[in-house]
Amino acid sequence: MALKIRSIKDFNAGLMFIGIGSVFAFGASQYPMGTAVRMGPAYFPTFLGWGTIALGLFVLIQSFVSEDKPPTPTAWRALILVLGAVCAFGALINTGGLIAATLAVVIISALGGHEFTWKAAITSAIILSIAMWAIFLKGLGLPFQLFPWS
Amino acid sequence: MTELFSNLALGFSVALNLTNLMYCFIGVFLGTLIGVLPGIGPVATIAMLLPITFNLPPTPALIMLAGIYYGASYGGSTTAILVNLPGESSSVVTCIDGYQMGRQGRAGPALAISAIGSFFAGTVGTVLIALFGPPLAELAFEFGAAEYFSMMALGLVSAVVLAHGSLIKAVCMILVGLLLGIVGTDVNSGMARYSFGISELSDGIGFVSVAMGMFGFGEIIANLEQGIQREVNTSKVGSLMPSWTDLKMSFGPIMRGTALGTIFGLLPGSHTVIAAFSSYTLEKKLTKDPSRFGKGAIEGVAGPESANNAAAQTSFIPLLTLGIPTGAVMALMVGAMTIQGIAPGPQVMTQKPDLFWGMIASMWVGNLMLVILNLPLIGMWVQFLKIPYRLLYPGIILFCCIGAFSVNNSPAEVYLAAMFGFFGYFSNKWGCEPGPLLLGFVLGPLMEENLRRAMLISRGDATVFFTRPISAGMLIVAIFLLLIIVVPQVRKKREEVAYESAD
Repeated sequence: MALKIRSIKDFNAGLMFIGIGSVFAFGASQYPMGTAVRMGPAYFPTFLGWGTIALGLFVLIQSFVSEDKPPTPTAWRALILVLGAVCAFGALINTGGLIAATLAVVIISALGGHEFTWKAAITSAIILSIAMWAIFLKGLGLPFQLFPWS
Repeated sequence: MTELFSNLALGFSVALNLTNLMYCFIGVFLGTLIGVLPGIGPVATIAMLLPITFNLPPTPALIMLAGIYYGASYGGSTTAILVNLPGESSSVVTCIDGYQMGRQGRAGPALAISAIGSFFAGTVGTVLIALFGPPLAELAFEFGAAEYFSMMALGLVSAVVLAHGSLIKAVCMILVGLLLGIVGTDVNSGMARYSFGISELSDGIGFVSVAMGMFGFGEIIANLEQGIQREVNTSKVGSLMPSWTDLKMSFGPIMRGTALGTIFGLLPGSHTVIAAFSSYTLEKKLTKDPSRFGKGAIEGVAGPESANNAAAQTSFIPLLTLGIPTGAVMALMVGAMTIQGIAPGPQVMTQKPDLFWGMIASMWVGNLMLVILNLPLIGMWVQFLKIPYRLLYPGIILFCCIGAFSVNNSPAEVYLAAMFGFFGYFSNKWGCEPGPLLLGFVLGPLMEENLRRAMLISRGDATVFFTRPISAGMLIVAIFLLLIIVVPQVRKKREEVAYESAD
């Protein structure tokens, strides 16, 4: 009997849960287990980790049984550019200052949309830079560096 | 009874203080503003606006956050009526008849009725919190570790049972949430768990990063994938005043919706959607002419809107009295309270009565503000609706980044948020909802601590959870809930609701 994946969603989700459960269940072996009376740091995560693996297996088995629509195709462009913009912020905020980080976030993330134009992206980047300065530095007094030299 | 009035008097003296009034207003205003924007639910809205409360003292910060919450909920209904795009899941129901009313040029009365219904429900909710808060908190003082553990288990179970989508995947998401929640230094042994040698992780994963990543970034990527299409009913908002018949027809639905919503809100689990759906179904059953539903029946707006607001309001009761969040939004409130140095639970009422009662009174004030604010400003919200999404989302991402960064002034939180965005996008694609994960995440450390304590006290005897009556009762309810879902009819009904709301 040939096994056929009937639900890609369940198949992927099952693998994901088994993976996450394994990280925690096997990772717990580095920590003392303790006893039921005095539970060590490994006790709770070991149980939950194995629970996640077991249920993940169940979801995986289900994917061969019950039919489901395939998931919509992954929007890699939006995914990479949006999360890339977030990482760019993380990289720039301490070294390049708030303005550089703002420009990077707005322009990179705008590239991920359907109707990108440089004019709109740059205009909104400038407007948002001014707004960020006004809200967070002037208004809320958060300790941000505006420019690397300031 | 006199105690109730003196408590409420204290509350209003705090809430009507000019500074707090201002923060309440800012909260409601910003909440509505972001809530009106399609594609951003209340959880993402609160997570996004959280950083602006960091520098405030606890009372105004929480007043403002509560304001943001009901502002965002109300904004969601406005979007539902004007654009047929629910700003949040609980306004899915409002879309059905509200949008039809809008197309018939009756968006004005629909918005007004929704505001009136919400305000009435909010008032009832506030009174109920004031009435039931103190006795419940007293009961909570009797709770031991075993009761707390069982109560959290019940909360998690009912959150899945009444949520839509796959049950087993929701349970998996809760388990993953619980696991992620215990990353960081173990309180008992001082050992850093699952930190992989990264010093930032030994302080645990910041819940702001989880919320922003899963709800903020995950949603934005999904929206970009689909491309938001909107048809705005701008020109036809029409007169706001509902006619006398409208009011008369809405009276019953508002009353029944409020009652239903109140009950659903009190149950553990996030029930605003279920409350709205039940109210809609009930009104459809009670009316003489069910064929009007779906074609712009005002009862279909009045009932669900009241129900969802009542549920939103009463869901604060378990949080404020027992310290147990019942849904993703309340989980965020727990996080916000923790950042402010307040451990949610029954002790808040006794140790910080001004904060507790001030927050309750400000809920009523905030609901009043919503009515005053929204009806005249509707023209302005419509203008916001017209801003194209491509100009909006970079700003939202930026706000989230600054928020994640300013939790600890550390870029590590920003990277974590990006990771959770990745995780959130794919898990959602594969039919796993982020809500249960966030709830599990907040409850993880609490559950572990109470489990340990209960087992220590009982000397390792696990039957303690079933020999203590309150604890046993809660576990039995939890098991019962899990069992009924396996019953074919219940299961079918649940899938129908999920199907309808997915449309």
